[in-house]
Amino acid sequence: MPLALIVVLILGPLAITLVVSFWQKVGFSMRPAISFENYAAFFSGTRLNVLLRSIWVGVSSAALMLLLAYPIAYLIATRLRAGLVRPVLFLFAVPFLVNYVVRTFSWSEILSRTGSVNTTLVALGIAERPLDWLLFSDFAVYLGLITAYMPFMVFPIWLSLSGIDRRLVEASWMLGEGPFSTFRRIVLPLSMPGVMAAAIFGFVGAFGEVAVSLILGGTGYQLLGNTIQSALNTLDYPLAAAISSVATILMLALIILWAQIFDLRLLLGKIMGRT
Amino acid sequence: MTKSANLNRRETLKLAAAGSGVAALSSMLATQAWASSALTLADIGVGDTGDWSPFTQATGHSVNVVSMGNAPAAVVNQLLAGGGRTNFNIVNIVGGMQEPLVENALIRELDTSRMPNWETNDYISDYLADGTPGFDFIGYDGRIFGVPTVLQGDSFAYLPEETGKLDSYGALFDPKFRGFVSLEDNYTTAGQKTALFLNASGQAQIADPADMTPEEMRTVVDFLIEQKRAGQFRVIWSSFEQAVSLLTSREVHVIDCWEPMVFVARDQGTNAVYAQPREGYLLWAMAAYIVDNPDMSEEDLEATYQLLDFMLGGWYGAKITLMRGYLTNPLAAQYAADHPDQFSAEEAARIREISEGVQAKFEKGGTWQNRWPTHVDVYEEEWQRFKSA
Repeated sequence: MPLALIVVLILGPLAITLVVSFWQKVGFSMRPAISFENYAAFFSGTRLNVLLRSIWVGVSSAALMLLLAYPIAYLIATRLRAGLVRPVLFLFAVPFLVNYVVRTFSWSEILSRTGSVNTTLVALGIAERPLDWLLFSDFAVYLGLITAYMPFMVFPIWLSLSGIDRRLVEASWMLGEGPFSTFRRIVLPLSMPGVMAAAIFGFVGAFGEVAVSLILGGTGYQLLGNTIQSALNTLDYPLAAAISSVATILMLALIILWAQIFDLRLLLGKIMGRT
Repeated sequence: MTKSANLNRRETLKLAAAGSGVAALSSMLATQAWASSALTLADIGVGDTGDWSPFTQATGHSVNVVSMGNAPAAVVNQLLAGGGRTNFNIVNIVGGMQEPLVENALIRELDTSRMPNWETNDYISDYLADGTPGFDFIGYDGRIFGVPTVLQGDSFAYLPEETGKLDSYGALFDPKFRGFVSLEDNYTTAGQKTALFLNASGQAQIADPADMTPEEMRTVVDFLIEQKRAGQFRVIWSSFEQAVSLLTSREVHVIDCWEPMVFVARDQGTNAVYAQPREGYLLWAMAAYIVDNPDMSEEDLEATYQLLDFMLGGWYGAKITLMRGYLTNPLAAQYAADHPDQFSAEEAARIREISEGVQAKFEKGGTWQNRWPTHVDVYEEEWQRFKSA
């Protein structure tokens, strides 16, 4: 029964989206068909550039977020007293108590020409005049994405790291390996399922982002989510479905790749509380 | 044996009495429901006075306001897939969307004789008459579908301390303000204003800025991309709060926006001015449509017409003009002046000032916003090109 529910509620809508992507727009409605014209329109027009930019922003921001999230998760898993782990992890969840659109808008206030960052920089003499590139720029978009999705990435990495058998690390030391070598040959490989889960969280979030690019991107920073929304505004559901299907297939390919490279059971076992 | 089978006479009488009481109450409620309708008004956030008691007191009907998006897809989706077609009586949105709404059988043609205030509304005959561009905001195919609830002419705002006095859309593209200009993320507003400027400056000849051909739209977008690459625009805004914030933080000095944003910015202490461009205004109107619910009873339909007539009345018009800064109906200013118990002298003067100001814009003219241009798909594709350039 639960499996049937999953099929109906998750795979059902995806299947409908895929089917509609082959339909034709007729006036304000759609006609069932087997047509590739929506995919042709997507891959031949401006939107292809938007797809490429979305992939680049997704990959690069996920990489940046990993560079930040991994050390944080490592410190929590290995250096923090046991009693402090849960409170610290809770702190990473606190930002999610505020709506993320509101959080994103607050960045535009902080980074504006008259915002607190620029005012401080000018007052301290670090900048002669307000820095324009702080807001409505690539920098602002990446900052918005990192603060929105990086906390999500700490959790799976921490889960992976905290599940590593300490005896393996100790054995490595006893066999004469230094801390860096132990990290590279023992800790990092064993934490990779969590790293890959985190990478997917970050990539999926950034790839389909709408609000951050809209609010912090400036002169029309288009990502795939924005272009889907734009197609919907002209009631072009088949085109929106085609773009969504491409995005879903890309995500699916990523997950299959992940499953091929890493043993999913390692992470799932930890989530389920099994060793 | 069940307990019900063991009921004694006294219990049976008690139950019978309770049953008849319930029946009487049900009958009363049914009568009440027949006499007074609970109407649902879906609104984009402009047409809600927050107080519908004058309507309820006058008619006995109650009004429940629900929020709805103004984008074409949001409207159609909410009506088709969001249950709006069966739950809403009226949708009050920016007009000009009759074509998709009528073609999808989502709104019904109006019988204007059922609204006494329709005949007294000179704005309809002056600005929205059949055969004029304004008709596209309330009518389709020669028939009337929308009640005009709000009228306005848009231009742009500026900060005079930074720019001096401005009176042309050329300010949006003036290199003096490079990096301090913002456009709205909307091809039917920013696109049309740009077309007005290109026409007035002789840089292009666009026959009808309100309904451009694909080639004309490409010309407009080519020009905008050139400006964008030169760094003219700081940001393309997409929400009311964002535009107000851009003005109050002085992040931009010239902004393609709506007049109420200037009112809010002024309330927050920023000296912003809404321009009177020599090229004219971008004119538009909001329209309230009756949702084409096939199950709507005649009683509910009558109540719905009463609500539409109320929205054409003096109290509603005065209230909305005061709250939003838009022109509403010809009764508004006089109603406010005649009812000092409801509107202070200062408020009445403000309502008259706003009404006369917007009427002057309509006298000046310009171009009517076209929410659903003939080549809307090309507009959308071109706007994507501009945004991703």
